[in-house]
Amino acid sequence: MIVLRILLLVSLQAFFLRDVSPLGEWTRPEWTLWALLLIPPKANSFVKLILGFTMGVALDIATGSYGQHMVAGTVLGGFLPSLHRLFAPREGYEISDQPILRDMGSSWLVGLTFCAALTYHLTLMLVTNWYWHLMPGALMPTLTSAAFTTLCCLVLHLMVFAPDRRKSSS
Amino acid sequence: MRNLWLLLIRNAFTLAFIALMAVSLSVLLRNDGAARSSWFRQTGAISFMIDSQRNGWSNYLKLAEQNAKLAEENADLRSRMLSMELVASWEEDTVRHWTVREGMLIKGPDGKPRSPSIATPGRDGGIEAGMGVLSGGAAFGTVEETGEDHCRILTLMHSGTSWSCRIGRNGPVASLGWDGLDMGFLQLRDVPRHVQAARGDSIFTSGYDLRFPADVLMGTVFEVERQSGADFMSVSVVPAADFKAVRHLEFLVHQADSERTVLSSTALQP
Repeated sequence: MIVLRILLLVSLQAFFLRDVSPLGEWTRPEWTLWALLLIPPKANSFVKLILGFTMGVALDIATGSYGQHMVAGTVLGGFLPSLHRLFAPREGYEISDQPILRDMGSSWLVGLTFCAALTYHLTLMLVTNWYWHLMPGALMPTLTSAAFTTLCCLVLHLMVFAPDRRKSSS
Repeated sequence: MRNLWLLLIRNAFTLAFIALMAVSLSVLLRNDGAARSSWFRQTGAISFMIDSQRNGWSNYLKLAEQNAKLAEENADLRSRMLSMELVASWEEDTVRHWTVREGMLIKGPDGKPRSPSIATPGRDGGIEAGMGVLSGGAAFGTVEETGEDHCRILTLMHSGTSWSCRIGRNGPVASLGWDGLDMGFLQLRDVPRHVQAARGDSIFTSGYDLRFPADVLMGTVFEVERQSGADFMSVSVVPAADFKAVRHLEFLVHQADSERTVLSSTALQP
């Protein structure tokens, strides 16, 4: 299911949402991150790592970027278990906890999404620019893009897991 | 082995992360020219730094060996310089009545064991048989026979003669001769086994043969061989005079030569 979700979002980003960037390089969203963030916190760390790598490979193939998303996806996949531990509630995660607004709350969702987006965009900045003297100029667009990606992921989240659904389902 | 396996299992996630990062970076570096050039620039600087550090350590560890080599080279150069100074420093000894007359070599030694050498002037120039001959301040030979304008010289490169010499200025007296084989080397004979001699030591005339004053350079020791069971050792000497290139000669004249000859040839009366 997660893999299918990743492939669907990769396709959407590569073919339909590629040009959704209202302020140019200051707002370049990575829609596919949302699929990775829907991995349950209690999932195996290896699953998170492999799925991050897979997402990167799929994005590189779809967008023709040859390795940049692969590196960023692997870094995010490797750091995701640590991010989950960092944002874990005091009593820890339940086995049935899903990374959605209903189960984890808004602060967890926004914080984790922003940190993950920041990790992904910072890695992308490093492997896109490579030279240290180019980094300061690329830092601000990276931060704003991470914020915009967070916003996009939350919008997707609210569209798919709308709060009124919980009421209708219960 | 089991501990290694447990260590790998314990760090499996980190190892998997490193492996996937390596794959990703290799794909990126293979396809992105800017990334590749930046990567090789960074890693090149690091490898240069490591290499220069390693070279520094390696040079430091080799210092003792290089120091010994330099000391040996220094001693050799000092020895050569001393020999050069000695060659250039011989002058007329008016105190002991030695004077010099200039001459020119016409025919030098040709490498044959008993080849004669011819020089000018002869009897008309004041040259007499028995005079010592120098070349560049070093011993060359002795006048064997004189004509009116020419003289025949018995050089150190004559296998039928021997010359009284001394190892160092104060060493034992020995006999120097040539075996007729190699013009580059003379041989010291009758050197007792206990005598201290080493490569680079200078060989001087003893003055006992009355043809040369004492302390004229004859050559330097090249090789010392002490054979087991032998009472004497064999010493090879490199002559100080260049017998293949010599042209100008100095004939040594002693002012009181007739008196010395008479005294040395007088038989002891009982």
